[in-house]
Amino acid sequence: MTTGVLLYCFDTPEVNYHALAERCVSQIRRHLGLEVTIVTNMETFRKFKPMGMINYKLVDNKVGNTRPYRGKTMAWYNRERALAYEHSPYDVTILMDCDYFVFSDSLLQLSQTHFDFLLHDRIHDLSGENMIAGRDESVLPLVWATVTLFKKTGTASAVFDMIRHVQEYYSHYRNLYRIKYLNYRNDYAFAIALHQLNIRDRIPTPMAMLADRVDVIDSDDDGIVFKHGDTVNFTSGQDVHVMDKEWCDG
Amino acid sequence: MDIGNLKKQSDLNFKVAQAKKNALEKLRSRQLMAYNERLFRADANTITLVGTLKQHSTDFYVLDCNDNPCHIQDPEDFLNRLVQRNQETLNAYQQLHQDLSRKRT
Repeated sequence: MTTGVLLYCFDTPEVNYHALAERCVSQIRRHLGLEVTIVTNMETFRKFKPMGMINYKLVDNKVGNTRPYRGKTMAWYNRERALAYEHSPYDVTILMDCDYFVFSDSLLQLSQTHFDFLLHDRIHDLSGENMIAGRDESVLPLVWATVTLFKKTGTASAVFDMIRHVQEYYSHYRNLYRIKYLNYRNDYAFAIALHQLNIRDRIPTPMAMLADRVDVIDSDDDGIVFKHGDTVNFTSGQDVHVMDKEWCDG
Repeated sequence: MDIGNLKKQSDLNFKVAQAKKNALEKLRSRQLMAYNERLFRADANTITLVGTLKQHSTDFYVLDCNDNPCHIQDPEDFLNRLVQRNQETLNAYQQLHQDLSRKRT
């Protein structure tokens, strides 16, 4: 049975996602030792530095979606993730945002268990200021699509079929679940699909996160140092989702 | 103590409390372990449960973190792994707790 990591990475006019992906791959190699496949477009592919053995899959990504970031509106190319089941060459896939950084082997533990589809439904804001999870933003039990583990099973295939359906009719489902935001978000599409299909397995611990307002000021192979306001703190040996998109730009 | 020092003390206590909260979340995350293709928390509850069931039977079923049943056929091995993982995480937490105690004083 093969296990690997699948990343989606498309540079936008505002963000060099390829720089985040390069760092992400380095951490995956160090702590998980798994094969990596990157789904990207030709423009982004040309910017990647040589990283050794990586499987690339080149696609023409959809454009048009946006997201807010530090008071601005930015392009967001996030619709291809719905095709992850088809894009993954692995029996067990860890589908990961390229701004999620592994500093432990926790995902390996999860990948060795019996499941069809696993992801987080809770987060832990490392800054302690609860800047991330909003209130009353939908009537849906929210999940986080940042890290998703799935196997090539009928159930996982059905989930991705449902995600594609939700994406196609997103305005209907957005109204149905009273989602506050107009843009397309995978977190909601995944949550709707799981709710519709009544799939309840989750990663039992919350995902450690840093909001986009928190700056990452340093990092090594074991963790990161971050700053918010006048407070500086660090992580060590803990996987973390970093929403500061510029920290790998140098 | 004047208000400036009180604010400093308050900020320090917030930082220490947050560091402790982060370390506890890390501990809980590291306590997750795979066994027989199921996911378990190597916490006090699981260890106590397995220790108790082990005294009554040589094999038994327990529920994993997602309420899936798991057949435990070698309770000794399972318990050893749980205890080992539990103590690994607690040792790491204890180190940090000592550092935080020094910071507070």
